[in-house]
Amino acid sequence: MTDTAAPRVNGTPEQATRPIKLNVVPVRHYGRAILAIVSAYALFSVVVGLWTNPNIEWPIVGEFLFSPSILTGLGSTLKISAVSMVVALVLAVIIAVMRISPSRIVSGFAAAYVFLFRGVPMIVLLIFVGNLGLFFKEFSLGVPFTDVALWSVPVKDVMTPFLASVIGLSLAGSGYMAEIVRGGLLSIGRGQHEAAKALGLNGNQALRYIVLPQALKVLLPPMGNELISMLKASAVVSVIAGGDLLTVALGISSVNFRTIELLIVATIWYLIVITILTIAQYFVEKRTAER
Amino acid sequence: MMRDTQDTETSLAMISVEGVDKWYGQNQVLFDIDLQIAEGEMLCLIGPSGSGKSTLLRCINHLEEINTGRIRVGGDLIGYREKRGRLHELREKEACLQRVGIGMVFQQFNLFPHMTAMENIAFAPMKIKGVSRAEAEKRARTILERVGLGTKGNSYPSQLSGGQQQRVAIARAVALQPRVLLFDEPTSALDPELVGEVLEVMKDLVRTSQMTIVVVTHEMGFAREVADRVVFMADGRIIEQGAPRDVLDNPQNERTREFLSAVIR
Repeated sequence: MTDTAAPRVNGTPEQATRPIKLNVVPVRHYGRAILAIVSAYALFSVVVGLWTNPNIEWPIVGEFLFSPSILTGLGSTLKISAVSMVVALVLAVIIAVMRISPSRIVSGFAAAYVFLFRGVPMIVLLIFVGNLGLFFKEFSLGVPFTDVALWSVPVKDVMTPFLASVIGLSLAGSGYMAEIVRGGLLSIGRGQHEAAKALGLNGNQALRYIVLPQALKVLLPPMGNELISMLKASAVVSVIAGGDLLTVALGISSVNFRTIELLIVATIWYLIVITILTIAQYFVEKRTAER
Repeated sequence: MMRDTQDTETSLAMISVEGVDKWYGQNQVLFDIDLQIAEGEMLCLIGPSGSGKSTLLRCINHLEEINTGRIRVGGDLIGYREKRGRLHELREKEACLQRVGIGMVFQQFNLFPHMTAMENIAFAPMKIKGVSRAEAEKRARTILERVGLGTKGNSYPSQLSGGQQQRVAIARAVALQPRVLLFDEPTSALDPELVGEVLEVMKDLVRTSQMTIVVVTHEMGFAREVADRVVFMADGRIIEQGAPRDVLDNPQNERTREFLSAVIR
């Protein structure tokens, strides 16, 4: 960069149609230069290593990248993530509002919810939900402590891998998101609450029309990150055979023993989707910030 | 403290404050306040900071709870219902209904930053009173013109100066057509050159509306010009009150004299 450029004498003053640069010898950043060389070398050797590795057959990557089963898996991943994001978001707002309730029982319930679902590793939670049929035989709606059942259905009939994945991801995600939403709600100053009150708005109206819309702006960046990481986390559902991209990739590799190639296929798709989401996040944030 | 709820003075007053004490934790900030404000009266509350004047104002629309006494607006007990000598807290719906009749303008404006000036003004009439959007916006436009901001309807608060924001805040409070309008140091957060435009809007309101208006202020010139009565408070007590000419130009109490000589230079 500038390290190698020799300082030059400026043009004559009477021709100054552009800003004249002060004639300065720049400080040399030797550490920075060394780090640049090391990182360039690291990147180079990884790419070359992958590309020339005789154990990786790139044609197989190309072959499976657009194969119907991989695309179906990608579709499931997108579906599971999208549904989980929406469910988690709704749960998070409900829990966050409960968390700031004046009732100790209500806020205590919300605190316990956050504690539990933020504390339990997502993979453990998923295995629990996926195997719910093992310890609950049926879902039923009835009178507590009696055998009177108004409605009941066997767990193993309704608990599909898709549903289990969505429930596991939503619960785990909502624990984190609830704390983010709560932070957003608390960031709205007392003056806004008082102004809403003084106009005769009740608590619900103040929350819905005054506090939440403003909190949204504060929430958006961390929430966007949370949603993106939920897409990544959705790969975990492969442990309960959720039918997602990773499940499919691993399934194919167990047949043709091309594990690395299929992982590369999955990686490429994850990176593509996350790039798209990141770009979308950038534009959404930019639009909200303008207001 | 129990008082006769039906004495004649009470029924005539628009705002009636009877024997009000207010504590913040272990600190008493209001001491046995009695104050009757007539319908259509314009009253200025003055006094040093920490004298309790803002607190008293905030008690009138129940943003603060009182510890003893009663506050009535238009004859209705504020925040409570009295049954067999006991106070019952009002349900949220009823408390909200009371506040609709009591407008408030804050020191820090407290406009809603995610709404335009127009939306700030039209919002409450639409949501609270069920006025149609077209009607609410038509009225908002009229009010905006009255406060001299006819062209600023589509501006967000962050695009307006402090003085303009406070004028929008006044318009927002007036839009609900309250019987009582409370101003909590409306010009204290403004740059000096912007104070005048806000005071002009307030003077216009005093002259042309029938509202009962209470203003906590440090603007003595304004108080002298438009107030019907000036109340001087210090240390949580009403020290002196009367016509502006009497209180401001010929104060009887030593505390009042001290305060005024410090304020008017």
